[in-house]
Formats: sequence, C-alpha cells, structure tokens
Amino acid sequence: MFNFFKKSGSLLGMNARNLQYIRPSNRKRGREISDNKLLCKRILKKNNLGVPALITRVRNYEEFETFDWASLPNSFALKPNRGFGGDGILVVYGRKKNGDFTWIKADGSSITLEDIKNHIRNILDGSFSLANTPDIAFFEERLKLLKLFKPYTYKGIPDIRVIVYNHVPVMAMLRLPTRASDGKANLQQGAIGVGIDLATGTTTTAIIGKGHFIEYVPGTRLILSGIKIPYWKEILRMSITAQQVSKLGFLGADIAIDRERGPVILELNSRPGLSIQLANSSGLKRRLERVSGLNIKTVERGMRVGMNLFGGEIEEEIEEISGQRVIGSVEKVKLIGKDGKEIEVEAKIDTGADSTSIDTEIAKQLGFSETLRIFNEKISGKNILDDLSKEERESLFSNIPDLADTAKIKSSHGVSYRPMIELKFIMDTLTIPAKASIIDRSSLEYPVIIGRKNLRKFLVDVTK
Amino acid sequence: MPYHPLITFIVAQGVPLQTVTLLLMLPIIATLVAFFRQVIGIKAFGIYTPSLITFALIAFDPNGIKYGIAIFVSVILVGMISRLALKHSRLLYLPRVAITLSIVSLSILGILVLGGHQQRTGLASISIFPLLIMITLTEKFVATQIEKGSRVAFILAIETLIISVIGYYLVSWNALETLLLNFPWIVLVTFLINFSLGKWTGLRVTEYFRFRKILRHL
Repeated sequence: MFNFFKKSGSLLGMNARNLQYIRPSNRKRGREISDNKLLCKRILKKNNLGVPALITRVRNYEEFETFDWASLPNSFALKPNRGFGGDGILVVYGRKKNGDFTWIKADGSSITLEDIKNHIRNILDGSFSLANTPDIAFFEERLKLLKLFKPYTYKGIPDIRVIVYNHVPVMAMLRLPTRASDGKANLQQGAIGVGIDLATGTTTTAIIGKGHFIEYVPGTRLILSGIKIPYWKEILRMSITAQQVSKLGFLGADIAIDRERGPVILELNSRPGLSIQLANSSGLKRRLERVSGLNIKTVERGMRVGMNLFGGEIEEEIEEISGQRVIGSVEKVKLIGKDGKEIEVEAKIDTGADSTSIDTEIAKQLGFSETLRIFNEKISGKNILDDLSKEERESLFSNIPDLADTAKIKSSHGVSYRPMIELKFIMDTLTIPAKASIIDRSSLEYPVIIGRKNLRKFLVDVTK
Repeated sequence: MPYHPLITFIVAQGVPLQTVTLLLMLPIIATLVAFFRQVIGIKAFGIYTPSLITFALIAFDPNGIKYGIAIFVSVILVGMISRLALKHSRLLYLPRVAITLSIVSLSILGILVLGGHQQRTGLASISIFPLLIMITLTEKFVATQIEKGSRVAFILAIETLIISVIGYYLVSWNALETLLLNFPWIVLVTFLINFSLGKWTGLRVTEYFRFRKILRHL
C-alpha cells in the first residue's frame, strides 16, 4: 500500500496541474495567445517558427457578404479562430473537375459552396467557440501527410504534442487520427497516443482513446513502437522557442510534419491534458520536479537537458538490477548547508575528481562565510605551506567554526590547502552526506563538481 | 428550546427555523461538492446546480428521492431527445435552449397529469419552485451538450444526481441538523476544509483508476 502511494507520487493529477503548474506559469497574455489561433500564428511566424500558411479570413458578416468565393484554392483547411478540441475544422482535398463550386473531403464525399458558407455562418455565430461568443473563420493551407505516417493514419494529419516546462521539453507523444476519432488527432475522441523517447525521438508505448493500451494499429499488424520521428531535434527546438515567445510557462505545443515544409506548429495549449502520461507509461510530476528551478539560458541547453533527462528506456532496467541510479554527466542537485539553507544548482559529475567541491560564492550562501573568512585570515601571507606537518596544520586550522577538514592540493607551485565543510546534497531523489572543499569556481561553467567519494550510489551514463 | 442561544436569538427575530437550518446546511453542501470534485474526482455541473438540486429534492419531501429522481431523469432524457430532434436545424444558442426548455416543461406537465390520472396525487401536488429548479437544469445540460458532447453531458448529469442524493441524505440527517442548531459555529469548519481542499494537490480517486495501468510500471 505504501509503495502504491509512493509510485503514484510521480504522476501529475488535475489538482496539481492546475494549482502548481498552470496557475503560476500561464499568465493572461499567454492564455490569450493559446486561445486565439490567428494571434498565435502571427506571433510564431514573426519569430521564424513554421506555421500553416494563412490563406484568408472572414471576420464578420460584412466580410462574409463581400467574400470572393472564386478565390478559394483547391485544397484548404477551414477553422474557427477560438475553436477547441479540434472541433469545427473542415478540410477539403481537391475541387471537382467540372468547374462547379464543389470540393472533395478526406473520405471522398463532396461538399458544396453552400455547405461551406453554412459552416462559416456557424463559426461566425460562435457554435464552436467557448461560451458561444462570435468568432472569426479562417482558411489556411492544407498540410500534406508525410509518407512515413500514411499507414498509421486514418484520414487527417498526425501531430506531435510536446510538453515544455522551464524551457525543457519534458514529455512528448505522437497522436494518430483513427476511424473512431473521425480523422482528428484528439485522444478524448478516440485517437491513438504513442509515447516518445525524448533522447531519440523513437516511439515507445501506445494507448487508444482514454487509456486502453495497444501494440498495433487496430485492424492491422503495424507495430506502434519504434517509429522514428523525423526532424526530432527541430521539433524539440521549435517547442522550446514557442514557449519563449508565448510566455506560456507550462506549454503543450502541437506540431505537425508537412511532407514538403517539414515541422509546423499547429497550436499552443495552455492546459495540456494528462493522458500523455498513459501514452508514455510515465509520470509527469517527477519529470517536472526534476527540471523546475534549473537555469536554462538557451534553447540548445533546454533541448539537451530534456533529451538527457528523459530519454533512455533501458536505464530504468539497469537501475532495477544494480540498485544504483543512472545519472548523466550534468545533474541538478539541491545543496543543504548550515541551518538547512538550500540552493539548487547544476553540478558536473566528475569521476576524475576524488571529492566534491563547491564554489566560494555558493559556500557563502550556504552559511559558511565565517568559516571562509577565518580560514583565509590564517593562511594569508603563507602562500606555500608545503613544510607543514599534520600537527602544525591541525593547530593552525583549529578553532575555525564548521571546518570539517582541509584538502591538500599539490600543484607546480607547491602545495596549498583548501577548507572543507560538511553538507548534504540531494541528487535524483537520493540524499547524500558529503565533505566538500571550497574553491573559487566563478570562471568555470559549473559551480559544483561531485567527486567519486559521493558517487557510490550512482552509475554515470556519459551519453545522457 | 434547547438550541444554541444564537439560533434562539435568530428565530426570535422572526426568521423561520427551517430557513436557518437550510442556510447553515448550504456551506456543508457546497463543501461536499468541492470535496467530490477535488478528492474523489466527480465533477457534476459546477457547485451551483448540485446544491440547488439537493434543496429541490428536500422540497419534494416526503417522497423527495422517488419523485425528485424521476423528474430529474425525465428532464435529462427529454433534453437528450430534443437535441437529437434539433440537431440538424442549426439554431442559435438561446432560441435552441428556449425550445428545449419548452419541450421539457410541457413534458413535465404531461408527467404530472399522468401521475394524477394514476392516482399518484403526491406527484401531481409537487410545489412549483423545486420543479422550476429542475427544469432550469436543462440550460446547464444543453450548454454542456454543445460544448463537450452528449456523452459528457450525460455523465455530468448522473454525477450531479449522485452528489445531490448524497447531499439530500446529509441534509435530512437529523443528527447533523441537531448538531448545527446546537453548535452553529461548526459551520466555520467548512472554511478550514475548503482551504485545505483549495491547496490539495494529490491525485483524485478517479485518477488512481484512470492511471491504474501505469501505476504498476512506474
């Protein structure tokens, strides 16, 4: 029973999603962008992100009356600006040859201009928008299905949902339209959701509809795992950039791949659903916690962190066999210093170093400024201390508060000593007590290195 | 009267005891609805509808549950049939709701007449206000149908009914009534409960069910 609740702790539920992620991360401006497809399209395009090209729009009945219907192309997608859940989208694939105003839909049935006009009236009246507020209808280019996805897809276009938090992609799934979902890539309506390994962009486990696990596309022998998604890095890069420009801290980006243009962003979601956890057989909460508070400055960095942390199916099996945690060469650690002072930093995992060391500045923040000050006083004017015996050292450094030990460092200049203090750090949920030496690392990339002595419970995977 | 001095005082001012009881019960019903949403995961139509339906059920007493549920189910069924009938006429929202509402109220009238005819005078003599409350449920139902589809609307209606029935038994529970009238301050405990519910980030019971298959693999 206890184990059951411990396991469920890694899952993200509605309560936690709303209170801890959507509420603090997605402010009004971001939500406005996610609810208004045309605005979203404009902003993404301005920032050089690919979107389906806008053909034209019908903003009100006045524009509707004066609209030049002859200007409509042979194929297009007609959408409501504030629609949700993929409702109200009409896609036509071609026009009948005989010159009439008749188009052909995905299932081969034909649709007349009058039908299209009716559909636009419905959109303008707000039939598809939240709370039925009057809406804008727009035509955009129809995306062409990628050959790779063709056998897996019923009508429609598959898309890839990527959840991005704190500039790190944390989870992704491929959504395949089915007969049940009527060509819509919406899980609630019966589409297939396939989990994706973030490191490689390869699909893993799959569900259909609200959570029934499947291995094959229903009615076929097509295996859903192992599909390698093309443009994977580009897709991750685009989702992170979309987060930066939309200011949606907790974002679900929907990206489709066009046969000719490559990945394009369909829409941004400020309230991404939770089924993605089922598709990936993995919990979002633990992933979100691992990236929260990280200081990610560039898109590349965010992408690397996401790929490192949330890729690699095999690693969990190793963890189960060896009882050791598999970590990457850079990990987020929480340092706990004097009087419970806590700091979260990225640490370099250095199997070449014997012990852990931290930057002077961090030591000060952890409450060891007094230790440092007295230590520096005692060694001032004694640059080279090589002739100190153990006893001499002990007497020199006695009476320094919180000093646990000193580290003797040999270099070409002779020998010097660094102060060592005791602290605890939490890495990948394990709490490790450590003795750390203090040194100025301000010119180095990582403020903390974790050395061998404190890595006994971990295995390091350098590809992470 | 053995009640709390505060209650005695309020009643002495001319406020009917039943009104006092119901007003003191409302926070408890609201808390019940919030609990069902946040902890159990049963959504219902917000907080307003289940609370009102609860009181409508009480107003239907002495046969509250029997007739209340019958009327509730009729409203939902007629609402669903009306949707089918109106599906292809492409009407704007308010006229559509108005038509549905009319069909529902006429059907209810029919049921009452039928009840009277079958010598079920209890049904025919139901007072009008709880009936109206039940009928206005139609708007909530139709709005949900349009936004989220018939299936979701139906499930939410059933959930509303479940919460309302539980609320009904809670309110008709004599021990609770006595407790509230003797210790009216107990109502303030609902604030405490709601503050904790408002900060509750654990999984809902329905989510344990939803994610049961992956809980094993995590």
